Amino acid sequence: MTAPAAFAGLTALASPMQMGQLPDWTALAPVLILAVTGLVLLLIDSIDADTTNSALLAGVSTLGAAAALAATAWSLATGVGQDGGAITLFADALVVDGMSLFFTAIFTSVVVMVTIASYDYLRDHKHQGEFYSLVLFAASGMALMASANSLATVLVSLELASLPSYVLVAYLKENRGSVEAGLKYFLIGALSAAVFTFGISLVYAATGSLIFADIAEALSGGEFVGIAGLGVLMVAGGFAFKTASVPFHFWAPEAYEGAPAPVSAFLSSASKAAGFAVAFRVFVEAFPLATIPEGINWVLAFQILAVVTMTLGNFAAATQENVKRMLAYSSIGHAGYALIGLAALSAGGSANGNVLGASMAHLFVYGFMNTGAFLFIAMVERWGVGRTFEDYNGLATQAPVACVAMSVFMFSLAGLPPFGGFFSKYFLFFEAIENGFWWLAAIGALNSVLSLFYYSRVVRAMWFEDPSGSFELGSQPVGLYAAVMIAAVGTVLLLPGFPPVIETAQTVAGTLFA
Amino acid sequence: MVPPQYYLLLAAAIFCIGLFGILTRRNALLFLMSVELMLNAANINLVAFSVYWGNVTGQTLSLFTMALAAAEVAIGIGIILTLYRNFGDVDVTDAASMRW
Repeated sequence: MTAPAAFAGLTALASPMQMGQLPDWTALAPVLILAVTGLVLLLIDSIDADTTNSALLAGVSTLGAAAALAATAWSLATGVGQDGGAITLFADALVVDGMSLFFTAIFTSVVVMVTIASYDYLRDHKHQGEFYSLVLFAASGMALMASANSLATVLVSLELASLPSYVLVAYLKENRGSVEAGLKYFLIGALSAAVFTFGISLVYAATGSLIFADIAEALSGGEFVGIAGLGVLMVAGGFAFKTASVPFHFWAPEAYEGAPAPVSAFLSSASKAAGFAVAFRVFVEAFPLATIPEGINWVLAFQILAVVTMTLGNFAAATQENVKRMLAYSSIGHAGYALIGLAALSAGGSANGNVLGASMAHLFVYGFMNTGAFLFIAMVERWGVGRTFEDYNGLATQAPVACVAMSVFMFSLAGLPPFGGFFSKYFLFFEAIENGFWWLAAIGALNSVLSLFYYSRVVRAMWFEDPSGSFELGSQPVGLYAAVMIAAVGTVLLLPGFPPVIETAQTVAGTLFA
Repeated sequence: MVPPQYYLLLAAAIFCIGLFGILTRRNALLFLMSVELMLNAANINLVAFSVYWGNVTGQTLSLFTMALAAAEVAIGIGIILTLYRNFGDVDVTDAASMRW
């Protein structure tokens, strides 16, 4: 940023909004609340370093995340960044619009569920303060990713989300699985960050700018197509890592299996959505199909990635014996579905905004059902039940309420009618057909049918099989139960509540193409 | 002035050396060094084209990249330390209790 640009950023901070009373920077309230909560947790931790007062720590983080969620919902409801155009801050480096708020709502809801669940999951562990503050810092990084309007802020916010995630995966530092998972996540993450940075440097070399709108303008001139094309491909690689898509997907099964289950829930829902948030904005705004040179055909790349990702994820999930690993592969499969949002775009396509919006709505529903499923696993781990399908046999006789919730998540993930996941998938495939990509929808639907096979295995094991041994479930973890129930109620309520979600998503996505 | 494509070639060469290191080395610390090379390749591009385009955007981002690289190494060393404590080595192929 040049000196005048920095000055412009400062005046943007100071000057009040033209019509309202609130200054512009308050539009970033959700991010600021998350970051401040993280700092408060560090403060609590530095005052009482060995605190195991999980009620205080979990309470503060849940309150902070809920406050951020409330601020986001309020901004969405009152039209901040939508009525009167997007709010840009710091010389266009950050933007607050409907899309960034929509994604922030996903991240903050997931954080609320994860912190409530961690109250029980972490009870006997030391260093709890660090855990919660890292979750909050990662969440503020994700919320910033959704607001990034320049490749520089994309890079910094992506790392702000990634670095705490590596530590969170390796949080159980005396557990070999957790350390191994953290190492593998870090290695692939560092590699993909390097590839991503090199891609950014190539895009800068070709265009001389990092702001999305300026990149789009420079690219439309048609100079340096080769360098820019390579850069775009490498940038796409960075997003593939963050969203756990092929070809940077192989960290996901390891990291999700080895990590503490609440962290797996956090990463597979919020972190994935953050990757999509920034990918949607970068590819639609910085490399728009309408003006980009012929040679840079990123839609084709995403079509291949979407088909390979969903097929590989679903087939691999079908062969797993470990439930957590099955969910990890299913999460890769869902990244493939969400990629349809980019793969089914076309230059001047009439339904472009609707496709992208449907993909965002799917990520919203996925935030609830997938988080819930991983938190159920956390509860099962807490009970000391094994990890394979056989270990789940007859679990419903011991914990019927939780098993009802898990069945809801499984059927919703598979896309069966009476749950939220049905509508989100239906709209996604329907809009892809509307935009002329019937074959993407067909492959997606085939994959959904396959996914029903392995999701129903969990349900069958819990309800229909006889227990292979006797269960000693012990105490009832209140926090985990509450978090799983919030997720289940959310998944069910998103059936009648889906129309406003999809409407909001498609409206805010439509403004990206305007 | 050195033509800008020479810088592109230099950066690409350093990037490929880093990538080669990642693919062939099993020591986690050498892996970190290789990633560092790849990030510095990006920095060369950023600084060189900052001069070419006549703005300081690239130079500034290269400073950010260095800071991020340092943060990444700090986290990486921490994880490698726990790896050493659990597995008694810094060989990345030792940690294989889960299958890839």
